[in-house]
Amino acid sequence: MASLTLDKVTKSFGAVEVIPGVDLDIKDGEFVVFVGPSGCGKSTLLRLIAGLEDVSDGDIRIEGDSVVSIPAADRGVAMVFQSYALYPHMTVRENLSFGLENIRMAKPEITRRVTEAATLLQIEQLLERRPKQLSGGQRQRVAIGRAITRDPKIFLFDEPLSNLDAELRVMMRVEITKLHERLGNTMIYVTHDQIEAMTMADKIVVLRKGVIEQVGAPLDLYNHPRNLFVAGFIGSPRMNFVEGRIEALGEHTITFAADGLPPLVLDGAVEGAATGAPVTLGVRPEDFLVSHAAEKGWPATVSIAEQYGASSYLHCTLPGDRPVLIHEPGQSKAGRGDVIHVAPPAGRWHLFDAEGLALGNPRLS
Amino acid sequence: MSAGTQFAAAAGAVVALPARLVEPVMYGLQRLLGIRRMPWVFLLPNLVAVILFALLPVFINVFYSVSGSDRLFPWDRPLVGGANYATLFDCDNFLDPSTCSRDLFWRALGNSLVFVPVQVTAMILIALLTAICLNRDIRARGFFRGIFFFPVMLSPVVVALTWQWILQRNGALNGLISSAGLTPVNWLVFPNTAFFWSVFVTVWAHMGFYTIILLAGLQAIPRDVYEAARMDSATPWRVFTRITLPLLKPVLLVVFILAVIRSVQTFDELYVLTGGGPGSATMLMVQYIFEVGFASQPRNFGLAAAASLLLGVALLIFTGIQMRISRSGRDD
Repeated sequence: MASLTLDKVTKSFGAVEVIPGVDLDIKDGEFVVFVGPSGCGKSTLLRLIAGLEDVSDGDIRIEGDSVVSIPAADRGVAMVFQSYALYPHMTVRENLSFGLENIRMAKPEITRRVTEAATLLQIEQLLERRPKQLSGGQRQRVAIGRAITRDPKIFLFDEPLSNLDAELRVMMRVEITKLHERLGNTMIYVTHDQIEAMTMADKIVVLRKGVIEQVGAPLDLYNHPRNLFVAGFIGSPRMNFVEGRIEALGEHTITFAADGLPPLVLDGAVEGAATGAPVTLGVRPEDFLVSHAAEKGWPATVSIAEQYGASSYLHCTLPGDRPVLIHEPGQSKAGRGDVIHVAPPAGRWHLFDAEGLALGNPRLS
Repeated sequence: MSAGTQFAAAAGAVVALPARLVEPVMYGLQRLLGIRRMPWVFLLPNLVAVILFALLPVFINVFYSVSGSDRLFPWDRPLVGGANYATLFDCDNFLDPSTCSRDLFWRALGNSLVFVPVQVTAMILIALLTAICLNRDIRARGFFRGIFFFPVMLSPVVVALTWQWILQRNGALNGLISSAGLTPVNWLVFPNTAFFWSVFVTVWAHMGFYTIILLAGLQAIPRDVYEAARMDSATPWRVFTRITLPLLKPVLLVVFILAVIRSVQTFDELYVLTGGGPGSATMLMVQYIFEVGFASQPRNFGLAAAASLLLGVALLIFTGIQMRISRSGRDD
């Protein structure tokens, strides 16, 4: 168990700067998820922490001690690779014990640790098999087991579930979360899947182009995204955006206008809003209130109505050919071609300025 | 239509022309033979070549080995049964070639029995070492890969003549040695040094081929397995013995078989470089066969055929053992 500090960490490959500078504090026992689109530098950041890549500049501290000049094996971290990276010619037992034999641990202790990890992950009956005789999920467990036997201070997971099918992924997600609760170690988990991030993390780190866009608890990021990127990345399906301007500011209302759309009066106030300023309005699909009759809000033409049974997703078009996705609880009555009226309720909207930064949180009086 | 597409269309038409000519013939054959016999039509050209140039010579060789005289055409040759084999095995003491009626055969066999293990071991060790070096992120890696492969593309005679020029009494190596103030050595005149240089030159000439195969094998080992081993505190030596070697085993086995067969067949480089000498110190089996069958008068085709058949059987047995080992390796 350990805390981790990244202090102005940068990484360049030749002339290409992959990570221009990251500062981050991870507390002891936290489950932190690095999330971002492919190529955002999240795996590189993980490999820097692991010691598989050298930092170009800056410092990485585990429990306050700098580890940048310490080899990967001696940092007290263990990594679960995306491809599992099991040793194909060794049995599961040998895969689990290889690292311990390398540090000349006593045989009985190795046996104890391997048995313990195997029991924890329910792979005891697979110990004499080879990786190619295992299913994807079993290989995943062995890879995690290999990390557990080393009893690391910090676990590193590099997109560990991306090779599993959807059902197994949900199962392993729960198992890894449980594992974290049981072991209590600091865990850093890299994924491009924001659902994994939302469901597993104590703390999410959203990365884009090697830069941290926002750090926070899952619902913090969901409810209070700091910028357009985080707003669009966190949440599935993604937030709807409409570009426009602030037409009028009331005491507790803001009137938002966009070409071709009737002005929309938003309940709530934000700091930094100015009349006439170009802004982007963001509304999550589930935040739209749908009225099928009353002429309130924006008229949206339904192009596809997806009925999930418990809820419905309406793919609609606003005037000006703006696509918008609306989530309606229960089974929607709307069908293709229908015109519905939509508007966000008080406080359930986000405004972003021309630079894409959020204009504070809507305050309700 | 642009010039480019016009050219492409014209080139396409030219390429398609043979196909258009052959097509009606093939359809005719298919109507005649039925579709189930068609594979034989496509196999036939290759089969003819294999039968004519590989299988038939084997049978002819068997016939020559049981027939005598120096006549070339089979119908002129009288059958002698096992006489040729008896001549080869006519020895008072098998450990002392000079007691044999064909002492050169036993000397060549003895030389081969030393040369093959030594040369193959040296070949594989050096090729493996080179492949490992070339697999690293070193500067000018492509250049070095080319350099090491280059000798493979040379004609064996060119290889031998080059090294003869280096090793002869007034050669480049002795030039270097004497300019350093040391005594020159007549490398190809003493049995031991001649044998050493025989191994060296053949390794030099062929190692590039095995290096490329081993390099491909090394590159097929996933990078992240090595990274996992790094996280697992494995020392470089343990990574080599516990990760690289086991994962390279199938490729090593192929290289081993190829290298042994090639080593047993060694002839042209040494024939030009040492001529089998000094005396018979570097004469290997294939050279003996050549000398007996073609170089010396009268030409003893029967004896050469018998010797080469024995060599073939020995190689067959060896390959069988190798295949069994590789199969058991796959099972575990």
